[in-house]
Amino acid sequence: MTQSTQDQLQTHPAAEMYAREYKDGHLDRREFLVRATALGVSAAAAYSMIGMSPANAAGHRQTPPMGGTLRIQQEVRVGKDPRTYDWSQMGNLGRGITEYLVEYNRDGSFSGILLESWEANEDATQYTLNVRQGIMFNNGDEFTAEDVAANIRGWCDATVEGNSMSTRMGILVDADTQQAIEGAIEVVDSHTVRLNLPSPDITIIPGIADYPAAIQHRDYIGQDPLEHGVGTGAYRLAAHEVGVQAVLEKNPDHEYWGEAYLDRIEFVDLGQDPAAWMAGAESGELDMTYETTGDFVDLFTSIGFEVSEVTTAATVVIRPNQNNPPYDNRMVRQALLKAVDNQVLLDLGMAGRGEMARDYHVSPIHPEWADVPAIEVDKDAAYALLEEAGEADHVFEVISIDDGYRRDTTDAYASQLRDAGFNVERTVIPGSTFWNDWTNYPLSSTNWNHRELGVMILNLAYRTGVPWNEAAFSNEEFDSLLDQANGIQDADERREVMRRLEEIMQEEGVATIPYWRSLYRHYRPGVINAEMHPKFEINPHYLGIEA
Amino acid sequence: MGLFILRRLGVMLLTALCLTFIVFFLTNLGPNLEKLAKTQGNNRMSDAEVVQWLENRGYTRPLVVRYGEWLGVAPGWTRVAADGTETGRCVDRGMTIETAPTFCGVLQGDLGFSTVSDNEVSAIVGGRLALTGWLMLIAFSVMVPAALIIGILAGMKEGSRTDRTLSTISIASTATPEYVSGVIFIILLASSTAGLSPWLAENGWIEGRTLFLGSSRSAMEDITFWNFTLPVLTIALYGMGYIARMTRASMAEVMTAQYIRTARLKGVSFRNIVLKHALRNALIAPFTVIMLQIPWLLTGVVIVETLFNYNGFGWTLVQAASNNDIELLLSISIVAVIVVLTTQLISDIGYVYLNPRIRIS
Repeated sequence: MTQSTQDQLQTHPAAEMYAREYKDGHLDRREFLVRATALGVSAAAAYSMIGMSPANAAGHRQTPPMGGTLRIQQEVRVGKDPRTYDWSQMGNLGRGITEYLVEYNRDGSFSGILLESWEANEDATQYTLNVRQGIMFNNGDEFTAEDVAANIRGWCDATVEGNSMSTRMGILVDADTQQAIEGAIEVVDSHTVRLNLPSPDITIIPGIADYPAAIQHRDYIGQDPLEHGVGTGAYRLAAHEVGVQAVLEKNPDHEYWGEAYLDRIEFVDLGQDPAAWMAGAESGELDMTYETTGDFVDLFTSIGFEVSEVTTAATVVIRPNQNNPPYDNRMVRQALLKAVDNQVLLDLGMAGRGEMARDYHVSPIHPEWADVPAIEVDKDAAYALLEEAGEADHVFEVISIDDGYRRDTTDAYASQLRDAGFNVERTVIPGSTFWNDWTNYPLSSTNWNHRELGVMILNLAYRTGVPWNEAAFSNEEFDSLLDQANGIQDADERREVMRRLEEIMQEEGVATIPYWRSLYRHYRPGVINAEMHPKFEINPHYLGIEA
Repeated sequence: MGLFILRRLGVMLLTALCLTFIVFFLTNLGPNLEKLAKTQGNNRMSDAEVVQWLENRGYTRPLVVRYGEWLGVAPGWTRVAADGTETGRCVDRGMTIETAPTFCGVLQGDLGFSTVSDNEVSAIVGGRLALTGWLMLIAFSVMVPAALIIGILAGMKEGSRTDRTLSTISIASTATPEYVSGVIFIILLASSTAGLSPWLAENGWIEGRTLFLGSSRSAMEDITFWNFTLPVLTIALYGMGYIARMTRASMAEVMTAQYIRTARLKGVSFRNIVLKHALRNALIAPFTVIMLQIPWLLTGVVIVETLFNYNGFGWTLVQAASNNDIELLLSISIVAVIVVLTTQLISDIGYVYLNPRIRIS
């Protein structure tokens, strides 16, 4: 893929400050790249600011040979309006047809796809998006700033059922009209769009790099790209049978602006059971997995597949729902946290594949992570708290999905509660029905994917009244501090606010957040650019296979 | 005879009607509809959004009316949204309420729309049935001859060593459910780390990693000995023991009959007694059992197809049930009723031909 970076920013005052922080050891490379590139500095420039050359850096892609067919084990779901995508698998399949403005790379940096570059002003209230020139849709129309503006307006439309982009665009949405704020999206010329934010927001760029942000033709907003087939990507849909398979093939009627290597990509759906994927791999029915979990990491390696690992902020959250007594009692929630040793959950649930977390949903790889120590495990104190709360007789029903690490981790959680003297009942619900009621179970585990910034996940899952607030957590101080953090660009300053946010999560006993997962993917030797991505992304345009 | 078949068809219709209504009722219970909304809309929708979603798609109206719509005796619902887009049960993409038909149900030949597959039910069921048809055909052609041979050999001389050995084998095979035998077969024959395959591969006697394939996905396009043996064997083994037991019992009974003794006294060879005199009479009972095995196999394929990732009828049933795909489930029920009652009809008619003493009245 040829990616012109010359028009992107070479530097930015805040980015230089980050570079100093990096050199002083306050930031690691990944954090630095996330923040510098989110401000519009090109990845190459960002690397050079800290004295590295991108050619030596992780995440550099090879150029595969042309041609070939690749078979990827991945769930095949129905197509729908990209804004309402709720699975990264949908994004992966759609990505061959509809591309994205910006892409989040494995190493934590952002680079432009349909955007040539972008810049933020100093206080992150104004973003200028420079649209790449010379891109055509496969229906013959040119891709312009009008398309970008139309998509962003569509993302801001909160009246659409299940539109998850409206939360990501949060600040641009008018609370009364449920649409984009008047004048917020400005088309400057045919290839420039300016976003005028009412208040600073540092999550816009990560937001538009996420899988529901697929760019549609301006006339097709709200429709399913798998059906209308219009997009800028090099591929078209050749077959799509839900639960069985989907096939992308190179679109011969479309001149793609970049490079695409494979002729054909088959997404093979072998169901939810990793044992079935293993059987498929042994039968030669797939070249690459979407994700490999648990014991199957070693098993796939043992049959000669190559492993690719990436560390993330993905986790399992075991949370009481505070709308259900006795979890409205803070002492009960704290007892739950005190009774559970996160290291045991990591060892038994993930076979140690990851890093221990401390019951707040901000990971050390997030730029604004503050080093708040873990809650001390004390089973006797936990039971004493429970007795004090008068809930020693309560039967704790611990619910999880019936699948791999989520089940194992929750099992370990339940048995630790039992060890501490709690009455525990364990319920396992099949994957097909688990998600029907996931925000309302009294005490259950949920897997959460990686997000680029710590504030993003807090906004999505712990702010009062947001749809994904499965803990039914509501805390005024937390909400107002979070608002404050959303506007602080400087990570050190934000870290001070974040410290308090993390402490509140621990004090309030919001959830057991035991570990940060490492993610794995396997592929046959000879498959190129298929490395695991922290957000499970697969970009069909990069993939290749050795002849 | 004509009247008999007509009456049977009537029963079939009535059964299908009852069964589909029960399935319709169960799939339209509140929590199931909520599940449908969440799998189809967004699995993290709020309650208000769920109600809105169901309302927009006509799921909130009375059950009987909607069942009538599905049957095609009540007019399909229509709705004009605030922005003027027209939707309705019979309004396909690109149609308006004006141009769409009023009725679109089973009576009009429209099986409905599968929500999980985002496709017409008729387009799905046909292909999947054909896949299962192949699986069952091959399983049958392995199972029936093997079972009959085992049963006859065992039943020729009751209590002999052959009888005891074959009886043990058939009891063991029929006592092993598909989900046990299937897993054992995979471990023994289709794993590159356990069973026979690593040893065979080490000696260079097989080309791939495993002897047989533990996943039959490739058989959907091209059936080979290597990708289809395990599912066929798994299904066949279970039914085989049962049919063999029936055949043995029937054969043993015939062998004690007066006319067989007479034939022996007259000096007819044992071989001729078995082949010319005993066999036809001994096959009457197994014939019924074999026909009744067909609907029984339908439940077997549910397990085997899921285990071996063969996307046929049984697999579709599992998918439809776990996603609460109402109209797909209804069509599957109809197919199941037809299969069960047709095989029974055939077995009744066949019985008449095999046994002249029986008359259909």
